Amino acid sequence: MLDDTKKIFIQESEELLEQMENALLEMEQVPNDAEHLNSVFRAIHTIKGAAGIFGFDAIVAFTHPVESVMDNVRNGLRSVDPDLIALLLKCKDHTANLVEFISGEQEDISETLQEAGKKLLNELTPEQPSELTVTNTNEKIEVSDKRSPSEDHWVISLDFKPDALRNGLDPLSFINYLKRMGEIIEIITFTHDFPCWEDMDPESCYLSFRIALSSSANKEEIKSVFEFALDDCELRIVPPHSELEKYLALLEELTGEELNKLGELLIQVGALTEQELNSALQLQNGVLNDGTTKEIKPLGEILVEQHVVSKDVVEKAVAKQEIIREKIAQETQYIRVDANRLGQLINLVGELVISNAAVKLLVEKHDLADVQEVVSGVEGLVENIRDHALQLRMVQIGETFSRFRRVVRDVSKDLNKDVELVITGGEAELDKTVVEKINDPLTHLVRNSLDHGFETPDERVAQGKPRKGVLRLNALHDSGHIVIQIADDGAGLDTDKIRKKAEEKGLINVGQELSQREILRLIFEPGLTTKDTASNISGRGVGMDVVKRNIDALRGTIEVDSERGKGTLVTIHLPLTLAIIEGFMVGVEQERFVIPLSMVEECVEMNTDEWHLDKNSHYVNLRGQVMPYIKLSEFFGVNYQQSHRGRESLVIVKAGRAKAGIVVDRLFGELQTVIKPLGKVFQGLKGVSGATVLGSGEIALILDVQGLIGLASAKTTDVKTLESV
Amino acid sequence: MSIEAKEHNGAHFLEINDELTIYTAAMMKQELQDVLSKQDELEISLECVSDIDSAGIQILILLHQQAKKKGKTLRFIKHNRQVIDVLETLNLEALFGDPIVLPAKEF
Amino acid sequence: MNELAMAVNKQDHYLGDGVADGAYQYLTFSVLGKLMAIGILDVKEIIEVSSMTRVPMTQNSIRGVINLRGNVVPVVDLGARLGSHIIKLTKKSCIVLVSLAFHDETQTMGILVEQVNEILTIPEQNRQKPPDFGTDIDSKFISQIGRYEEDFVILLNKEKVLCVEELSEQIVAAQSSFCV
Repeated sequence: MLDDTKKIFIQESEELLEQMENALLEMEQVPNDAEHLNSVFRAIHTIKGAAGIFGFDAIVAFTHPVESVMDNVRNGLRSVDPDLIALLLKCKDHTANLVEFISGEQEDISETLQEAGKKLLNELTPEQPSELTVTNTNEKIEVSDKRSPSEDHWVISLDFKPDALRNGLDPLSFINYLKRMGEIIEIITFTHDFPCWEDMDPESCYLSFRIALSSSANKEEIKSVFEFALDDCELRIVPPHSELEKYLALLEELTGEELNKLGELLIQVGALTEQELNSALQLQNGVLNDGTTKEIKPLGEILVEQHVVSKDVVEKAVAKQEIIREKIAQETQYIRVDANRLGQLINLVGELVISNAAVKLLVEKHDLADVQEVVSGVEGLVENIRDHALQLRMVQIGETFSRFRRVVRDVSKDLNKDVELVITGGEAELDKTVVEKINDPLTHLVRNSLDHGFETPDERVAQGKPRKGVLRLNALHDSGHIVIQIADDGAGLDTDKIRKKAEEKGLINVGQELSQREILRLIFEPGLTTKDTASNISGRGVGMDVVKRNIDALRGTIEVDSERGKGTLVTIHLPLTLAIIEGFMVGVEQERFVIPLSMVEECVEMNTDEWHLDKNSHYVNLRGQVMPYIKLSEFFGVNYQQSHRGRESLVIVKAGRAKAGIVVDRLFGELQTVIKPLGKVFQGLKGVSGATVLGSGEIALILDVQGLIGLASAKTTDVKTLESV
Repeated sequence: MSIEAKEHNGAHFLEINDELTIYTAAMMKQELQDVLSKQDELEISLECVSDIDSAGIQILILLHQQAKKKGKTLRFIKHNRQVIDVLETLNLEALFGDPIVLPAKEF
Repeated sequence: MNELAMAVNKQDHYLGDGVADGAYQYLTFSVLGKLMAIGILDVKEIIEVSSMTRVPMTQNSIRGVINLRGNVVPVVDLGARLGSHIIKLTKKSCIVLVSLAFHDETQTMGILVEQVNEILTIPEQNRQKPPDFGTDIDSKFISQIGRYEEDFVILLNKEKVLCVEELSEQIVAAQSSFCV
């Protein structure tokens, strides 16, 4: 049984483990980056804690030693090397297995899993020979010896006010009392501020001291020594260097469930006493009441000026404050929502769009001028709601991309190749439902590239290429689509080989004339692989055709470019969403079709006289550009009556690199198009990608421009072949 | 009088034989000022200072500064244990620059 | 038409009492001049043909798609599917909506028929295996032949008639032939 808490634990753990993996992979590049070390530590620490709360003892038992190791690494007691990172990655995997396990039904962890865990822990914390431990402690001592003594003392500055003596205070007794807190290493009695003998009031106090104290007490305790003198002296306690580090560390570790004020934050870590805070605040307010100064100084600045807190600590606290603020902001910004509910919402918004169109139609039909305005107002709102609803499902592609770091790392290691993954454009957003579906095709392409694309380091060097190969994943937005590029600087595709294979398989005729692009396109045909021996990474000859089918199913396109010896570039165009798009409605006879607006470049009137259209050639001269066109009425050819022929229009569409004109009878203009799937029966149909319900309740088909162009060019090629025969 | 002129083995010096505290500070200042204005060179024994506090220390510091300013020679001698403790606590031994001779019995 | 729809609904009502009754009941309709039927439990709804959208580049048996309360539902022309006769739309033509399981999902499909007739009770003893040959309809589409009074009723195998895989393959084939 999977109750809610368990679900939450599993989900959070998965996220944390992903963070941990990312951080570990970063560490491979920059081994001692504190942020990444902390990230790994925090991830494992949080999982351990949560597992403890939920009573998943097996996870606690495994994560605890891992956490200890990370703690040592963080504290510099253990160094980071590739072996350790590799081991920690394995630990991450094992933790993931354990987490996965608890989602299952079984009560007890299987022995194999337990054994695997034990083995990892043994590797992680080998029995250290006693000699080694001794050396370690020696090193530690050396470290502390190196520190100059003056750095590690509290510095107390004590300026008594003139009335101190008269108020019955004896500064001397405070200093004597201070000796109980620790050792006074140095004391300086300031005498240069004394008045001259004549002006001296023997009952006034002129004493100032600077004291270096070595003490294990904290600031608040030290301050308590002067508790009764606080009204009659200026007290500043500057913490020792180690204390500063402690503050910094404490600040770093603050979990920050709530947003604290800077002062509170500093008090929390002990860098500031409440009294110090109050006087600083008074100073701040004093400036305010004064009215003469225009600017109120930030508290941090005052504290630094007053030498109450060191600049480093204030800066760190301010930074921490910012992080906490962001975290809180994030926490309030994000709500976990069931994807199904979101789907339902988007479906409902779709219905709303259609209903609104129906209302609009009725209003126009009955010519209700006064209602029209209201309806168009509602239309605007509906459009907004639609955009926002769709935005809810938009996620950045970066997360999907960064998953490939592990794939690239592991696979290239297995293949003895040296490949670096460079990710760009991770902030590009697209519909979550699309993201989920591109993971598999992308994985395949990446693996393919690693396996077939990249040469071994030695081969690369022999070819004058850098030893390390670069695999790039890039994403960008282009006219309502997201473009994903997978580029490698590997060997490139061997077109001769592809051709030979294709001929062998009977995919093409021997000697058939094909352009470079057409040959490359053959790799998406079923049963074609160029690698002579199949490996376990890829190369069983299933794959590229599956990739293409997956992309097709998303109404996307895939293209491949390759240059021998230079590399390969695979470009995928995908629609941003599968739900609602801006459409452009056209009419052919009585039928209506919707073209995705993002693909429409322009509309021009069909100028029959100027263009001398004839039955055989299907292109026009558009401002000097050869523009092939598809006459929809012919193409979808049913017995149209030739009687109705008003002015035809040419809709110029763009799909990827291809441009074409679509000849239609009427232009209806833009339309919010709720995409309805046509159903499984039509899954193989090209040229039509879906349907939408119009306000009238009728269905209009959505044209798949890319598919149409493909069909049209296939048709012309065949015609040509026929002619040449 | 809290300050008495003394003579020991032919050497002349002043001896403070009262407490040097906030309670005596005003009076001490007056008396010491009188003494200082009359002589260009003087030694003050602190042997018989029965008590000393911050106010007393202030006076000693100021007197020392004043003497320097006026180009006079002022030496504190025969510091007793209590005075030494205070001077040590406040790290003022160097300031006065007087050789501190601990009485033999202290050892 | 309305009476019939009501009859179907009524059927739903007393289905609760005994499924066995429903199992013997069939909705009959005419296609290709023959009386055909499918089990009443398979029928979701019967609707008139109002507006249907043609899907270009498909074979004749795919008559088009309709809007069923916001969902797009494909309609199979039973005449074209079983023979080569495209059903002419008249006032009497109806679409029988049937739902069938396809890969864990429920897919609703429409069957275009010339005319919907009545609901008949055909007990098991009145049903028999289809002959191996002799019918002008591919025998794979026939599950049984029922006898009602003096008439034979072709009891259709909805899984075969509305086979998504087969229809889909036919569309792909139709499209590639269309391109030549």
